[in-house]
Amino acid sequence: MKIARTLFTGSLLAYTGLFFAFIYIPLVVIAVYSFNANPVNMMTWTGFTTEWYAQVLGFKTKVSESALYIESTGQLLQAVWNSLVIAASTTAIATIFGTAIAIGLYRFEFVGQRFYRVVMFMPMLMPDIVLGIALLIFFVNSGIRLGLTTIIIGQCTFLISYVFIVVSARLAGMDRTLEHASADLGANEWMTFRRVVLPQLFPAIVGGALLAFIISMDDLVITYFIAGVDVTTLPMFIFSMLRRGIKPEINAIAVMMLSFSFVVASLGLYLRSRQK
Amino acid sequence: MSIASRRRFQLAVLLGPVSAFLAVFFLGPLAIMVVTSLLAPGLYGGVEWTFYPHNFGRILGFADPMFEEFDPIYIAIFLRSVEIAALTVLATLLVCYPAAFCIARLSERWKNFCLFLITLPFFTSLIVRLFVWVLILRQTGLVNEMLLSTGLIERPLDLIYTRGAIILGMTYVFIPFMFMPVYASVEKLDWTLVRASLDLGAGPLRTFWRIILPLTAPGIAGGAVIVFIPALGNFVVPAVLGGAKVMMFGNLIEQQFLAARNWPFGAALAMMVMTVMLIMMIAHVVLSGRRSAAAALAR
Repeated sequence: MKIARTLFTGSLLAYTGLFFAFIYIPLVVIAVYSFNANPVNMMTWTGFTTEWYAQVLGFKTKVSESALYIESTGQLLQAVWNSLVIAASTTAIATIFGTAIAIGLYRFEFVGQRFYRVVMFMPMLMPDIVLGIALLIFFVNSGIRLGLTTIIIGQCTFLISYVFIVVSARLAGMDRTLEHASADLGANEWMTFRRVVLPQLFPAIVGGALLAFIISMDDLVITYFIAGVDVTTLPMFIFSMLRRGIKPEINAIAVMMLSFSFVVASLGLYLRSRQK
Repeated sequence: MSIASRRRFQLAVLLGPVSAFLAVFFLGPLAIMVVTSLLAPGLYGGVEWTFYPHNFGRILGFADPMFEEFDPIYIAIFLRSVEIAALTVLATLLVCYPAAFCIARLSERWKNFCLFLITLPFFTSLIVRLFVWVLILRQTGLVNEMLLSTGLIERPLDLIYTRGAIILGMTYVFIPFMFMPVYASVEKLDWTLVRASLDLGAGPLRTFWRIILPLTAPGIAGGAVIVFIPALGNFVVPAVLGGAKVMMFGNLIEQQFLAARNWPFGAALAMMVMTVMLIMMIAHVVLSGRRSAAAALAR
């Protein structure tokens, strides 16, 4: 019996090891092969190079003369810039709105509150493609020109929900006795909010904002439908590159995006789960 | 100002602007999509403002006899997508369920670290994570290169642009969606019941089937719903890993909007996805409500 048990626990551990291998090995593979010098067959290792990174960043390289590199670094940089502008704007709007809803639903009781909560979860459950085309039809009918503005508005609809959920979770786990103490000690409502509630809430708000930022940077489907013809974001740029054929530079771009996402998301997740 | 009216004012300041924003830019577009799905497509890509139920007819079997005959292709694509989404649910469950048991029994520190590692990929670019699988699966990809160099195969295998590749890609992408709800119910599992069952002579299989599975069923159901819904309407995974060979419902919708320019028909297709989503969500709420009512009665 004891042997069977050890065997069972062992195989469960091994399975979990495989589980994490399944998630992370592909990411390690791309990181390693992004330094592969072979320009034709990306998965046959011929030597170490940082050429592809240099290429993406716009430095002159040995292979610059060949026809392998991305059409223009300018386009790529423009896409990166667009993504950053969009992410910064949506994060600002979604953080303010999402936090306002979370606080409103936490501090007040009103008719239809439960319904309001359900509606707030809807944008996250809605399949991307449905929200994307609904927004497309809406914007075209309302005469708003497709572009940066429509992308920012469209992404906000689901990012607000995201910030709302993160901040609400924190509010629900908060110690209300501190608020009562503050009120008992003579602080008025605004003072209590500013000096007691907000400091406790702050990590969650920043965490939610960082996560919203990275979701916005990485969003493909909704942006794809409402971007119009003039604006390209980074994920759209990669998507269209993939459709045209794969070149080694995509490796380098992908690894840089992964690293950026990992750093920002780690920070966001850390702040979201922080206890104090 | 009285306290009541002051509080009402505060509430209006907090919720007013954002409610207006969501009403206009979230509920508004959905309403317009519903309306559009019932309008006639114009000749050159626009919309004609006449009631036209045949968009749904084209999918379900009562097509406009003036223009086209009913083509079962749309139902076929829909059913294929349902099948792929269901298989994805099954695959994510098989991947996540045993791991959830293992992680739930780790120490607090390791538990949190594992959960962090599982959540992290959710916040990295979808397209990058799929691109990696292109590199692994394609003709000159990692798997084929390795198999060829060891001499196990002589010609590269067709791994990419298959149904299996789509399911693999979706499973990879949707792991966090399935893991979190499953883990939540596994962590809450009352192990005294499991021990009692074993002590009373039930074998491990029977204990699993009669005790562990029913107790973790809410998590499985929750995970199934939130994996199935985005999988059904997905168009990026089939576009990248299915190529032109395996078309899913999401690709069909995309095509209607960006290539065929038949928006009313595209909206009707999207309505199908939304209907499935609503049915699943309502069923989930009703069933989980009934389950918790039953649990309360049993106490």
